[in-house]
Amino acid sequence: MKYSNPEIPEGINTSVQHPLKEFFLLTGGILGLVLIVVVALTLLADRLAVYIPFELEVELATRVINEETADVESPPIENYLNKLADKIAVEQALPPEMQITVHYVDDELVNAFATLGGHLFMFRGLLEKLPHENAVAMVLAHEIAHIKHRHPIRSMGRGIIFGLAMGMVSSTLGNAMTDQVLANTGGLTVLKFNRDQESEADQTALDSLYQLYGHVDGADTLFEVLEQVSGDVSLQMPEFFSTHPLSENRVNNIHDFQTEHSTTTNRATAPLPDEYAAWLISVSEK
Amino acid sequence: MADLIIFLVLLAMGYGFGRYAEAKHYKSIIQREAEFRDIPVVTSKFPPLTKPLSDVELVTGSVVISVDYFKRFIAGLRNLVGGRVTAYETLLDRARREAILRMQEEARAFGGYIIFNVKLETSSIHKGRKNSIGAVEVLAYGTVLIKQ
Repeated sequence: MKYSNPEIPEGINTSVQHPLKEFFLLTGGILGLVLIVVVALTLLADRLAVYIPFELEVELATRVINEETADVESPPIENYLNKLADKIAVEQALPPEMQITVHYVDDELVNAFATLGGHLFMFRGLLEKLPHENAVAMVLAHEIAHIKHRHPIRSMGRGIIFGLAMGMVSSTLGNAMTDQVLANTGGLTVLKFNRDQESEADQTALDSLYQLYGHVDGADTLFEVLEQVSGDVSLQMPEFFSTHPLSENRVNNIHDFQTEHSTTTNRATAPLPDEYAAWLISVSEK
Repeated sequence: MADLIIFLVLLAMGYGFGRYAEAKHYKSIIQREAEFRDIPVVTSKFPPLTKPLSDVELVTGSVVISVDYFKRFIAGLRNLVGGRVTAYETLLDRARREAILRMQEEARAFGGYIIFNVKLETSSIHKGRKNSIGAVEVLAYGTVLIKQ
């Protein structure tokens, strides 16, 4: 008996396929599929989030917000904003469980936002620049409209579904770096409203201003202020503009609304309370 | 964005170095296999009876090869859809052949002329995050016959 190990041809225990070909097939196919599924899921989440009871949203929000603002005595400006917000809430016919809570943020950032549980945050920087009550009401009405249309929970629904889907994919991949990449992308989408939502909020805001004051004069002041700020210090608040429709379009919408609802009645803008300026003086400056 | 760039750089590095190392390794394997062809490696449990009386020794050859970043990524994607994990096939093929070669090298040092009852064992060492395979170890061992 003869023992020998003859030379065996290559490529029996291995594949001859070029690894790059496999790479492009796999990444193209799988990432494409994942993208389609995730987009479908997020759209679904966006639709279904509306059916989450508002009470649950409030519960979610209180866990975060009450911790931060629990023992701070509310300043007079907050009381004023809350009263104004309540008036607007009545005009927008908010369901009784939708309680609006306005928080005043002593910061020079020119911004305002609405979040879960009917909480609005108004920044000193923006309030300082508003010349009359109608402009303040426009900001409030816009943010309250976001709450009314359940935009915060819908955005969160989208974000959570996206994050979950990405988490599942990346855990299957078992790759720390991909994990990181996907998680970051998921986080970006949380709590950002899209342009359609902004336009919807603008429309509702104008309706309620019209009901409140009989005209929408002064509503465009808000956008004039924002436009001015973006020209002056664009670095300060780019995020507000990136997701909001162009201010010019929004002003045009207001003017269209004005011509449609032109009235001959008194169109004076309501003044701000006398103490308004004093209320806004920063705590640190006092 | 920075993360994505880091990821792509790692992927490109894994591919570049991995391909280079693999090509170099295969070249060396094929060359040394020709060199050691005179020491047959057989899996028969019993020593060839026709051979002259011999001394016997245990010989082992073991190798650890790491997976590169590119291979791990492809294999991860492969996990989702199933199919041949071609990225790991070459890795294990290299490891097995290298282990046998090292065993043959040891046999030659003893002055052996045939290795019988050869067995191969494979294990993945350093299971990385979420059980991703970091490196494989292949151990080949057998009994070498040495002419008295």
